[in-house]
Amino acid sequence: MSGLKGFISQLFAGANSHEASSDESLLARYREGDGAAFEILYARHRQGLYRFLLGLSGSTELAEEVYQETWLSLIRSGSQPQGRATFRTWLFQIARNRLIDHWRKHGIHQPMHDSYDEQTHALTDEQNDPEQLLSLSRDSQRLEAALQALPADQREVFLLRAYSDLDLAQIATLTETPLETVKSRLRYAQQKLRRLLAEEVLT
Amino acid sequence: MTDARPTPQDPLVKHFREQSQSEPPAHLDALILAAAHREAPKPKPNLWQRWLRACQQPRWQVAFASLVGVALMLALVQRTPEQLPSYDFAPAPKAAAPLAKKEAELSTARSLAAPAPAAPMAESAAPMQSESFSADMADEAKVSKRAAVPVKALDEQLREVIHLQKSGQAHAADKLLADLHKRYPDQNLSARLKALQKN
Repeated sequence: MSGLKGFISQLFAGANSHEASSDESLLARYREGDGAAFEILYARHRQGLYRFLLGLSGSTELAEEVYQETWLSLIRSGSQPQGRATFRTWLFQIARNRLIDHWRKHGIHQPMHDSYDEQTHALTDEQNDPEQLLSLSRDSQRLEAALQALPADQREVFLLRAYSDLDLAQIATLTETPLETVKSRLRYAQQKLRRLLAEEVLT
Repeated sequence: MTDARPTPQDPLVKHFREQSQSEPPAHLDALILAAAHREAPKPKPNLWQRWLRACQQPRWQVAFASLVGVALMLALVQRTPEQLPSYDFAPAPKAAAPLAKKEAELSTARSLAAPAPAAPMAESAAPMQSESFSADMADEAKVSKRAAVPVKALDEQLREVIHLQKSGQAHAADKLLADLHKRYPDQNLSARLKALQKN
């Protein structure tokens, strides 16, 4: 009897439960032939992935190219996230690797592989009051310029934090960087962005 | 140690999320979704669908048809009644012989008790007694009876004639003899009577 009730509730609540499913179960459903599951998965991550690639590459054309390659490789690979990796980590890992491959293929200098002294770029900025935050620039071009002014490693961590919604441990796993380094990069990135955006408002 | 979990109030991150307006172009969305639908694996059919597909293949159709045929034959064999009355048109000697014998004895007894009308009654009584049988069966019994009666019953009746003649009842003897002539027109009653008288 309870099984029948469960079946009926699944029948009538199919769409809702579909949307409430985890990324991993949606991908598994897609691998079994459920095209609608992929649409939900794509709708969840399309914006964040695109903004991450756009911010990291600094080029619309390159971002679009890598974005397309990432999704198509996911569609065609037939594989699943391995181990403890979530779908989100896996997706952004694919995109990041594709971008690095593109830079390597075209002989472009890979900014994220620079030896980088975190401390030299760290400016003390202990101010974090609401008034300063309210004065941050809302101009998208200025926001973009401030992002591009960040060192690549800091920018990558900040973009992952902003658009992938991964926690710091996941970002550390994805970038194969120690957790403490990730924390410091994020902190320095935030300090510089606050300063740059506040300065932009003042000027 | 700093908590690795994202801080819920991260104003700068929130500010960037709110202000960022870049979106993937529509043509990329369409291209990716079309590729996803085109290259989605075909759903695995369930057991019922696989069975239906198997039924549509010729070799399985033959196999299933054969199986159904055998099942129907078995069902028919199982439902057939064990003993049905046989409607053979050929005479059944084993069944008719005892009946003929019985009828002959009955006829003899009746002829002894009532000489003249007994035989026709016996003949006409046969079909009535075998009421569950067909007319053919009754005729067969009659034929058998006619074959058996002259052997014994005729001699006895002729002895009765002799007995009546010896006892001085000539009229009754003549009447019985005349009756026997009618009943057995193909028999040489005179010769048979003389033979009996000699014995």
